[in-house]
Formats: sequence, C-alpha cells, structure tokens
Amino acid sequence: MVRPYAVKGRKHKKRRMEQRDDAVAEEAAERGEEEEEVAAEDQKKVDAVLDELPGIPSMTPVEKSKQPGVIFILEKASLEIGKVGKNFHLLNSDDHGNFLRKQNLNPADYRPDIVHHALLAILDSPLTKAGRLQALYVRTEKGVLFEVKPNVRMPRTIKRFSGLMLQLLQKLSITTTGKHEKLLNVIKNPVTQYLPVNSRIIGLSYSSEKLVELKDYVAAASDDTTLVFVVGAMAHGKISKDYTEDYISVSSYPLSAACCIARICNSLEHKWRIL
Amino acid sequence: MAKTRDKSNPSVPSKKKGKKRTANGPQAVAMKFSKQSKPNPFEAIWSRSKFSIVGRRCKGEERRTGLARSQATEKRKKTLLKEYEESGKSSKFIDRRIGEKDDTLQEFDKAILRLQRERQLKLKRSNKFNLPDDDDDDDAFNQAHSLSAMDDFEDNISLDDEEEAEEYIGLQNGTDSKHIPLHDMNDLSGTLLQDGSENNQKTKKQVMMEIIAKSKYYKAQKAKDKEEDEHLMEKLDEDFRSLAQSEALRSLTQPSKMNALKALLNKDPTGKTSKEEKTTVEKESFKKEQPDAYDKLVKEMLHDIRARPSDRTKTPEEIAQEERERLELLEEERKKRMLATDDSGEGSDCSDDDEIPDMKKRKSLSGDDLGDSFSVYEETTNKKGWVDDIYEREDAAGDQDNDATVEGSDVDEDDQSVNSDEDSTGDEFDGIPSVKDWEQSDDDDLGTNGEAELEETEMNDNDSKDMKVRKTNSLDNQKANAAGKVLSGKQETLPYVIEVPKNLKELCSLLDNRSNAEVVEAINRIRTCNSIRLTAENRWKMQGFYGVLLQYFATLASQKPLNIERINSLVKPLMEMSGETPFYAAICARERLSHMRTRFCTDIKLQDTRSWPSLKTLLLLRLWSLVFPCSDFRHAVMTPAALLMCEYLIRCPIVSGQDIVVGSFLCSMVLNVCKQSQKFCPEALNFLQILLISAVDLKSGLQHIPQVYHSIELKATKPWLRICNQVSDVHSLDFFVVMNMEADSPYFSSDDFRASVLAFVAEILKGFISIYEGLSSFTEIFSPISSLLLQVLQNGNISQLLRNNLEDIAELIKKKTDEHRRLRRPLQMRKQKPQPIKLLNPKFEEDYVKGRDYDPDRERAEMKKMKRRLKSEKKGAMRELRKDNHFLFQVKQKDRMHEEEERTEKYGKAMAFLQEQEHAFKSGQLGKGKGRKRRK
Repeated sequence: MVRPYAVKGRKHKKRRMEQRDDAVAEEAAERGEEEEEVAAEDQKKVDAVLDELPGIPSMTPVEKSKQPGVIFILEKASLEIGKVGKNFHLLNSDDHGNFLRKQNLNPADYRPDIVHHALLAILDSPLTKAGRLQALYVRTEKGVLFEVKPNVRMPRTIKRFSGLMLQLLQKLSITTTGKHEKLLNVIKNPVTQYLPVNSRIIGLSYSSEKLVELKDYVAAASDDTTLVFVVGAMAHGKISKDYTEDYISVSSYPLSAACCIARICNSLEHKWRIL
Repeated sequence: MAKTRDKSNPSVPSKKKGKKRTANGPQAVAMKFSKQSKPNPFEAIWSRSKFSIVGRRCKGEERRTGLARSQATEKRKKTLLKEYEESGKSSKFIDRRIGEKDDTLQEFDKAILRLQRERQLKLKRSNKFNLPDDDDDDDAFNQAHSLSAMDDFEDNISLDDEEEAEEYIGLQNGTDSKHIPLHDMNDLSGTLLQDGSENNQKTKKQVMMEIIAKSKYYKAQKAKDKEEDEHLMEKLDEDFRSLAQSEALRSLTQPSKMNALKALLNKDPTGKTSKEEKTTVEKESFKKEQPDAYDKLVKEMLHDIRARPSDRTKTPEEIAQEERERLELLEEERKKRMLATDDSGEGSDCSDDDEIPDMKKRKSLSGDDLGDSFSVYEETTNKKGWVDDIYEREDAAGDQDNDATVEGSDVDEDDQSVNSDEDSTGDEFDGIPSVKDWEQSDDDDLGTNGEAELEETEMNDNDSKDMKVRKTNSLDNQKANAAGKVLSGKQETLPYVIEVPKNLKELCSLLDNRSNAEVVEAINRIRTCNSIRLTAENRWKMQGFYGVLLQYFATLASQKPLNIERINSLVKPLMEMSGETPFYAAICARERLSHMRTRFCTDIKLQDTRSWPSLKTLLLLRLWSLVFPCSDFRHAVMTPAALLMCEYLIRCPIVSGQDIVVGSFLCSMVLNVCKQSQKFCPEALNFLQILLISAVDLKSGLQHIPQVYHSIELKATKPWLRICNQVSDVHSLDFFVVMNMEADSPYFSSDDFRASVLAFVAEILKGFISIYEGLSSFTEIFSPISSLLLQVLQNGNISQLLRNNLEDIAELIKKKTDEHRRLRRPLQMRKQKPQPIKLLNPKFEEDYVKGRDYDPDRERAEMKKMKRRLKSEKKGAMRELRKDNHFLFQVKQKDRMHEEEERTEKYGKAMAFLQEQEHAFKSGQLGKGKGRKRRK
C-alpha cells in the first residue's frame, strides 16, 4: 500500500508545528486537565437535570451492530471489458454494437447501465443512508465477483461508471480518493462464504411461481436473520437457483432490476421505519 | 520471460549467456537450434490464457511451455555443458579469427574485414616510421605495393602537395567569384552577372544601346506618372462637384456663398475641357493671372462664423444664484417703475425711452440682456439702487397716487405673465400690507441682521410661551391690519425681494390679508432670495424662517374660523423647506412633540379637562407624517409622534361624539403612518374595537368576551354609535365641520352621525386588514373584531350600504383567518435529523490503461517503474541461474553416478579378481608347493 500523495508533505508540516507547539501544549495540558474536571462536573449536572426533566423521553441509542441489515447480490451483471481499437472499454450495446457483432456476440447482452441503475437504486436509498445495508456484492456474467462498500458514492453518469468498472476489473480494487480504504474489491467466489451465518438468501425472479406481497414477506422475516436478496442485473434470462433458499417473485409483471430493488428497499424502510 | 524470448528468437542468446560464450567462441557455431528427432510428449502442451478478453490479441498468450523448457535445456547443453566440460582442461583452442564468430557474414565479407584490419594496423602512427617489411607488403595488396615503389617520404609529400593544390584551386575559384561583382560595379551597364567577364570586351555600341534604353524607360515612367496625376485631379474635381451639389456643404455655407459655389460649378466643366488640352502653356499662364473662384470661396469661408461651444450645465448653487438675481432685477424694475411714475407721472410703457441721466448707465446694462449675463459691478449697482429705492419710497410713501399704484399693478401683471409662476394673482388685490408694516420690516432688516441666530436659539427655549403671546399678537395684528385696510383701502403688490421675517409678527404682517396663492408666492420668493445654496448665512436665516412658518401654521390651525385652504397651501413649502434643513425641522418637531406630551399628561390628570388633542395638534401631526418618512424603523420625529398618537388613543376616555371623531381621525393617521412600515399598532385596533362595541347593543350578551368587558370598564362607554332608527343613506363625515361644532351639539346623537362614523371605521378597518394580513397573528388580532362586526350587523336599523360594507369586512377577515389557519402547523418537538452515513468517492482515472502509473509526480513514477523493472530482471536472472545450477547439478550428478558406477564396476572387478584368486588359492590351483608348505 502506498501512502496517498498529498499526505506526506502535510504530515511533515504537522510534525514541525507539533514540535513548536510542544511547550505551549504542555502548559495548556495542565490547564486542560482542570477544565476537563470542571466539564465533567458540568456534564453530570446536565445529566441530572435531564433525568429530572419530565416529558422528554430519553432516547436510548440502538447499537449499530444489533440493527438488522440487508445484503444485496446482483447476479449476472453484464460488465465485460473488451479491447476496442487500441484501448480497453467496458462493453455496452450503444457504443460497441458493431464491434460486438463483428466478434459474433449479441450486443443486447452487454448492458452495464442496468447494473449502474441497480447500484444507484441500492446506494441512494434511505435504507443505505441509514446504514442498514450490510454488504453489496456484484457477480458478473463472466463470474467475477466483487464487493461494493455501502459508503461508496457511485458515479452518476454511465460514462464515469464505465470508467470505474473498467479500472476495477483491470486493477481488481478501487480505493477512496483520500484514505486508503478499498471501496470496491474483486473477491473470490463463491459469494456464500461472505454471507453471515444466519442469513436467508432470497432469489428474485419473474419466473418464480411464488408470488408474494413483499411487505408482508419482509415483515414476516425475523430480525435475527439477515435477509440476502439476489437480484439479476441482466437484460435477459434469470438467476440461478443454486444457492438461494427461497425463490420468489414480487410482482405479476416483469420488473427492471432498479424497480425491483426500489420495492425491496421500500418495504424494508417501511418495516424498519426509516423515513 | 526469458523463455519466451528464447522461443521467439532462439538464435539470439540472452545477455548472460553471451558473456559466457565470449570465453569459448567455438561452441557458438554449434549452437544452432535443431529439432529433436524424438517427439517429446510434453512439448505438445500449450499454455492457456486465464481471462479471455474480447478483441484482445496477445502474442505471448499462446505458447508451448513444454517445448520452451526442452529448448532451454537444449541450449544449456550446448553452452553451459560445454563450458563445464572444458573447465578442467588446461589447453584450449581459441578461435580469434576475425568475423569467425559472426554467423551472418559471408566468406567474402570476412576477407574484407580482415584486409581492413590489416591496413589499420599499418596506418597506425607507431608504424609510420617503421620500415615496412617487403614481404608483408608484397602479399598484402597491390595498391600498397605500387605506392611502396616510391620513397616513403616522397609519397607523403606528394600527398600533401596534392591537397594543397586542391585547396589552392578552391581558393582561386572563390576569389574569382568574388572578383566578378567588382567588375560588374565598374561596369556601366551593371546588368548581367555571367557577362561580367565579357564586359571588358563589350563594344561601345552595346553600351550606348543600354544607355538609350534606360533613358527611354525613364521617359515612359515620367509620362505615366503625369497621366496618373491628371486622373487623380479629375477625380477630385468630380468629388468636389458632387459634394457641392449635395446638402452637406449647402447647409454649412451661407446662401451668398452658395451662389459663388454654383458659379464655380458651372465654370468647372469649362475648366475641365481646358484641362484636357493641357499641353498648351498658354492656358497655364492665363490661369495664373485670373484669381481662382475656388480660392475666393475658400477665403470667404474663412470669415464665416464658427460653431460655438454651448454653456455648461449649471450647478444648483448657480441656478439659485440666477434665480435670486432674476427676482432682484424684477423687484428693482418694479421699484423703478413706481418711482418713475412718481417722478415723471408718465406711463411705464415709455419709461425706457425717457430716463433720468444718472439711471442711464444701469438702464443700458439692463436693456442689453435681461437677466442673462451677470457681473459683480451690476449686482452692486443694483443693490445700491434697491436701498436707495427703499429710502426714496419711504420719503415718497405719503404722496403716492392711486394712478401710480394702478399702473404699477398693471406692470406687475405683465411681469407675472413673464414669470409664468402665477397667473391669477394679479387680479386679486386682497393682501395690502400697510405702510407701517413695510416700515417695520425695513427697519428690522437694517437694524437686526445678526439677530437671526439668537432668535433661533431662543425659539427652542420659550417656544410654548411665545405661542400664546404670538397668537395674541397676531390677533392684534390682524385687527390692526383690518383697520389699516379699512383706513387706507390701498392695494399693494407683493415685492419680489422679500427679506426673511424674523418672527411671527413680521410674517403675519407680510402674509395676512393676502390670498393663498400670494402667500405661497411670497414664501417661494423668500426662499429663492435667501436660498441656502447662496451663502452659509442664509442657512441660519432660513432655519429661523422655518420656525416662524411652523408657528404661523400652528396659529392658523388654532384659529377658530379655520382657513383650511391656506393651511393646505402652506404644507407644500413647509415640506420642501424641511427637506432643505432636515435637522432643524426635526428639532422643531421634537420640541413641539415633547410639549404636546407634557400638556397631555397634565390634562389627563385633571378629570374635567378634555384630554383629546386639539385641532392644531392633529394638523401638526398630520404635517409631520407628510414631512418625515413614516417607513423608517426608528425616526427622530415619527417614532415619538406615532407613540403619542397611540397614547392619545389608549388613554383618552371617550366623553363626547367629537372624541369619537378625533379618535377615528387619529386611527386613520396611525394607519397612514403604519402603512409602509407595517408596524403593528394595537392601540388603534383597540380603539376601533371599542367603537364597534359602542355600536352594539350591550344587552345582547357581549360580556362573555373578557377583553371587551375590560375595555368597556376602562372607557365607560355609552352606546355612542348604536343606530336606533332606520337610516337610509350614509354621508361622509366632514372632519373640519365636525371639529368646529360644539361638543354637546345634537348632531352627535343623530343616527346620521353614527352611520357615517361607522362607515369611516369600516374604511380604516379595511386599511388595517390590508396592512396586517401578512402577520402570523392575524387571526388573533382580527377575530374579535369580526365577531363584533357580526354583532353590529344584527342591528336591523343599519342601512344597506353600510351593512354590505361591514359584511364585506367580516368576510375578508374570515377569509384571511382561514388562510392563516391553514398555513399554521402544530407545535413539534425539535428533533435531530438522522445523520446519513458518510459517503466516499472512489478514485479512478478517466482513461485507465493497465500498467500505466498515475502518479502525478513524474520522477517518482519513473523511479517506481525502474524499480519494478529491476525487480523483474532480478527475478529473471535468479530464475535462470537457478535453472543453470539445476542443470549443472544434474550433469554433475550424472557424472558422479557414472563415476560411481565405474567405481563399483572396478571394485566388483577387483573383488571378483581377488575372489577368484582366493578361490584359486584355496582350491590350490595357484602355487602348489607353497600351499603345501603352508599347509604343512
């Protein structure tokens, strides 16, 4: 891991500043201790008053780890790199139709925009903003599996998204701009090894016989189990049933991936009262 | 990596191998790749790519790993193995023949190389002086042999000579080429370079020919120039003609000159024709003699009037100065005319013609340009004249004739028409100041010039005291004036230049008995004559005058037969003057306000006296509301004024019908004040509410509204406005008429009055509603009023018009209330918005190319690249070494095994031999005797 470029100089500067401020800081520290004591006393008083105050219900903060979450898996995402001309591109049906036809491939299968929409639908939902999205995995048509951290700000335009995916599939990981935290990371198959123990994997498909009202279905699930939704992000076809425990359809009409995800998010938000 | 390279170009060995191979060159010849005859099954294995990428074609992708491996082994066998085998040997055959190691060279090329090498060795400096070996040269090359036939030394020299000769030749050529242009310069023709050498041989004929050609050329050039000039001239003439015929020049020149121009134009064509036959010299001479028409025209035009710059825009000070001058001039003329009629007794029409000699100078000045130009001298003379005039007039005041005044007034009329300020004033001869007044004013003028400042300071102190005194004074004056009017019966016009009146008396004396228009005119003249812009001193004067005028306004307001028109006419000048001296105006207003307040406080303590403000106070408040800006958040005058009004409204008890009128007037004034700033004024609304309560039947159960009950208690109201009988129509209330009525007049208990007050109240309410409709507390403010209105409407005696009006208001209030209600939101606990998770931006490049370093620091990127390369090279080298070692180890092991085998074999043989021997010995086949002996 290389340090981010900008950090180096600043750190030096900071260190120098620290040296200079050392003397001052020591003096301040003595004073600071006293102040801290005073502050602590104040805090106690405030707490006492708050306890006594009638009518204001004191909210006990729920621990994040105990909050039930949700995991999404986007299956069969059509993210594929091709060498068009001299450069590599994320193949899509609009720009590389002729190229794909030349290669005897069906351009209709290359639809990265579906993945983009689906990812945006997940990452922009209040569910995610509230921190309820535990993990998000995408598995491409070719079988490359990568995880997307819930705190990624996905590029809004398809062009930038293509650039991001291109880099991800070549470099196998994408870091943040500032810190060196991996936001997108290609990982080993199968996806099931990353799922928590008490997870309930639900595959969604229009082809499924089991048509459910999603709100009721979600409400029926207990908070102990983590719901894992497997949604297909492809233009045609259906997801495989091999590792799903349940295989449901949520509408009597074929839905787009983004719409389906929006439904899931809505029902979960409704369940967990996220406004 | 190394392997791939080997495969792609097997003949070129890697660097390391090359080094090794230099030591033993001969092996390289045998290094050529030869396919094994025996197929190795592993060589058939192809590598496969891990990721297939559409459209990518990679060279190194498909390779036969097994084949590569076997090839590498093969190569090692040829190089490393050979080396290893020879490592233990002391004698070695090293092939140092030139070009022998290079496979690409042909036999012939090798020979050439060798020859070159030979020659180079020969030409070395160290060899230069060595005596050549004849044998060497002989068999080496033919050329050298031929050279060696000569002496070495000679040979060298000859070579040098040759070079020098060459150089010399080159130099010669250079000098030659340099000399050529010089020759040309000398040449007369100077034309051809290549002929330079031949020029000397040029005949005279040729030279002459050239000269002739040259002169001819110059002549042709001259003729051409002349022709061009002519064309230009013609064109200019044409242009000028068209210009002259166009409007542009015509408008610029005078008509007389136009004729000349036309003549010129007519003449021009002839001139043109004459120009056509221009070769004639005679024509030119003729032209010289005759003065050109055009020149004439130009000379005449020189004397034309030039355009003048216009006057610059004047500053306000200058405008004021001019205004004053104009007025002074008019005044002087007026005086003069008056005197002139006195002296000569003739009409003013012919006064210009017959003048007194001493006045002539001034006359001539004034006659030139009326009020246009101005000089210091003129002003002084004017002033002198003015003072003189006054004195003269004082003397002659007694014996003024009726005729004179009549004529004067006529002239006045004319002047005023010139002024175009007022038209009708001349006709009315109401205001006739008595002679006495004039004398007084004049005396004041002459005597107490410096009084103005003292006056001003005094004003503030004993304002209130003065008020009464002045009031009486003015009354006295009025009476005196009236008497004077009766006595004299004379009519005098307003003077143009009026000195600033120092106190109320003077002003009264000036303005009383004059028409309203004249009053305004007088004030305007005073203001123009003593404009603040003229001198700093005028500021004091005008401030004093402002105070006096305000007093006059107050006295007018307090007069019993109210002169509304005059008061109205005073408002405009007062407003303008307040704008000129805003600070002083504010001080005056504040003084008066504080006085009003103290009076009000004393009045309200006494039970009997009526505490509602007088008409004078009301009018002053109204004036200030006009003069000062009402919209200011805090204003030195308007804030206390508004507070005072509100205090009147809240504290004064309603005793009579007149109080109601005054209160509602105050309410309307408050509305006026609050209109722009939208300040909330609960007092006015409260008063209106009380008025409405008084219009309601008290028995109908109002007591349940607590605030209403409270206010009823406070004000102890009677049903002042309850309409008892049917009223058909509503008359609008005339405020001044009502104010003039007695407090207990029967009109106040009439239904007419009640209806009109109610209508007025409705109007004011409408105004307040429109102001306060934006307030969020609108509902709370107006809902009691609307309920009161509904109760008022229960009275059946209210006329239809009023009823509609009130219903409209109630409806309006209801509508607005509903709107506000709709917009209101219930009280909520303030809660924190949940904090969304912090989002992070992924870092990625626009056009990502794998393997490129996106480090912005080029140096570091370069360094990194080098390091990476070093590492990979190191790895490659290590791998190769390891494989070499492995190979060598295998060879050695094989050797060792071989040795071992040999040894064991030898050992076995030896053992077998020994065993055989032993066997033989034991069996007694060898050395019998011995054995026997031993055995024995």
